[in-house]
Amino acid sequence: MRYKSQSVAYWYFAVALALFGLQLVFGLLSAAKYLGPDPLLYILPFDVTKMIHTNLLIVWVLTGFMGATYWMVPDESRTELYSTRLAYVQLVLWTLMGVATVVGYLFRYGTGNKLLEQPLPSKIVIVIVMLMFLYNIAMTIRNSGRFTTTEGVLVGGLGLAALLYLPALLEYENYTVAIFYRWWTIHLWVEGVWEMIQGGFLAYLLIRLSGADREVMEKWLYVIVGLVFIAGILGTAHHYYWVGVPSYWLPIGGAFSALEPVALVGMAMYAYSAIRRSGLAHPNKLALHWTVGSAVFTLFGAGLLGLAHTFPSVNKWTHGTLITAMHGHAAFYGAYAMIVLAMITYALPAFTRRPEEGSAMGFTAFWMQIAGMFGMTLSFATAGIGQVYLERIMGMGYLDAQLKIQIHFVMLIITASIFAIGVALFIIDFFRYRPVFEVSGDAEPGLRPVKPARPVRPAMA
Amino acid sequence: MNKRQTRLFAIGSSLLAALVFIGLTLDSHRQFDKLTHAENITPAVSRGKDVWHKNNCINCHTVFGEGAYYAPDLTKITKHRGEAYLTAYLQDPSKFYDENRHRRLMPKQDLSPTDISDLIAFLDWVSNVDNQGWPPRPILVTGASLPGSDMSVAQQGAAALGGGTAATPPGARPVTGNDNPMALGEKVFRSATPACTACHSVAPGVNMAGPSLAGLTARTQALLASSDNKSQARDVAGYIRESITSPSAHLVPGPMYSANGVSFMPTTYAKDLTPAQIDQLVAYLSSLK
Repeated sequence: MRYKSQSVAYWYFAVALALFGLQLVFGLLSAAKYLGPDPLLYILPFDVTKMIHTNLLIVWVLTGFMGATYWMVPDESRTELYSTRLAYVQLVLWTLMGVATVVGYLFRYGTGNKLLEQPLPSKIVIVIVMLMFLYNIAMTIRNSGRFTTTEGVLVGGLGLAALLYLPALLEYENYTVAIFYRWWTIHLWVEGVWEMIQGGFLAYLLIRLSGADREVMEKWLYVIVGLVFIAGILGTAHHYYWVGVPSYWLPIGGAFSALEPVALVGMAMYAYSAIRRSGLAHPNKLALHWTVGSAVFTLFGAGLLGLAHTFPSVNKWTHGTLITAMHGHAAFYGAYAMIVLAMITYALPAFTRRPEEGSAMGFTAFWMQIAGMFGMTLSFATAGIGQVYLERIMGMGYLDAQLKIQIHFVMLIITASIFAIGVALFIIDFFRYRPVFEVSGDAEPGLRPVKPARPVRPAMA
Repeated sequence: MNKRQTRLFAIGSSLLAALVFIGLTLDSHRQFDKLTHAENITPAVSRGKDVWHKNNCINCHTVFGEGAYYAPDLTKITKHRGEAYLTAYLQDPSKFYDENRHRRLMPKQDLSPTDISDLIAFLDWVSNVDNQGWPPRPILVTGASLPGSDMSVAQQGAAALGGGTAATPPGARPVTGNDNPMALGEKVFRSATPACTACHSVAPGVNMAGPSLAGLTARTQALLASSDNKSQARDVAGYIRESITSPSAHLVPGPMYSANGVSFMPTTYAKDLTPAQIDQLVAYLSSLK
């Protein structure tokens, strides 16, 4: 690492990975409950394990985003962070809030509003932490006087993410209106500003890893952001199916959701062509795996599997079934889990003495996670298809239909275990190297020239 | 395109999309009250919504198809089940379902009688929201719109022979004496010989050899109140009991259900079922709102 203050990122990553591990414990518990009977029915029922599972996801991914930003902004602006102290205070406050909220959930202290279950005190702390974070980043950039497009997109995404959390603080008398604004936070996060954040990290990683020309990469980053928002903002409509809002949201949802994969195809092509066309190779091959993997898995999970059930005439039958769980798992993992893991993998050799090119354990972790998550996605898909035909189309009762798809839950648990082992290996690989935080003069460990996969055409520029 | 143009594209298209979105949001606000029947959001409905949130219902169930997928969708539940059934169920779900048989069970919640009636009021408000007619087919908790499709051939064969645990379809209730009569009645509905489910569905609009029994209570109440009621029965339960024991006493119009004033329904139930079983069956059928 080039700047001493970048070391704060290490501690953010450490917290993020610990929470990631904990998230999987609750995920596996929830999956086991699908097989039942549940010996923990009165100790830790499904509603609690599932709520902790999804909330930990949000907390660890955001922790990862913040850490990765603290890593990236000094690099981009070529300066130390404005205040490392503020960054540490922020991390402690954030972690305490996260842990206290989860402990509260064990006692059913929550709002019972899907994904926004955080009680009001937690929500207020979240807003305070976000403001501390944005202030620290803004001051760092201001003091440096250097503001790149890549970090502009990243900071823009983070700022909007904080802004869009505000509707979640309000309460609504009408349940339908509450649903309407709940999606302003959830949808516009994951299919809007979080994709901006992902795009920012992706551009940073591709510039660093492939040596691609910054001007070209940033130009395409703008195009991707434009495509994300054209489709993403009006694509909110696909959450307004069948919830008691005007029917014009149905065709709008169908049309604009169909456009959502365009940005994701763009992102995958962007990553792939940057790597293929570049005449240089970065020694950190493992980070390259995660970076390209994230772009490709996003296209699969968010793009393809989202498209699979986004048209109103299809969604009429699949709405509220395990088909949604299929899409949710693959999309969240590909877009947000993997991009954070990519940033961690990229930065780790600078914090520790991990070999630059990655360790064997690191590669095993990568492939086990990919295989496991792919298998989990297929398990949810097959279970969901069974559920849609039996329950929604044939009219079999919910409980009877669930019994008929039990085998897919067995498959889910097996593939989830493979995934969990992959994550465990990633976590072990992270913690087994003691942090040393050496400041080096070199920006990069040295890009090596390689033979390009195909002739470089000037067309992309 | 150069970088400046692409930036213009990113900002311009985002602003345009946001503008359209905000415009549509304003228009939606104009329509929310009408579509959701906001005038029906009584204090009980509001309190029921709080009960719904406080007990974290959404992290197992769905409403409007939103929530978790571990328990049935409740959007139209009050259209299928009457208040008596839902109240008894919410007091103790284990009286209705057996965890060993269904592999999952709703934990008993800490609900006061007011909580329960408020929650039912909330769910009833939900069921009347204009949501483009979703779900396109009724989502049942157990049983099936099509008879026999919830039981294997072997289970149906065993059921026809009249007993044993093998006869119990996967969705049937446990049958201990402690169970709620409505739960026991549903078991009778499936396992009587011949099984009621062979001809009657409880899903709305599914008319087979016999008419659908969905909405039975509401229709019977209307019938009893109307002038052309020739029945001896004074109430819904009495009407249903009479229909089971002497099917021709009340005829559903239509040449496929009766001829010359005689119903096609078997007349054997009065002697084949015990009085207790008939009571249970009446309790169950009365719960079909």
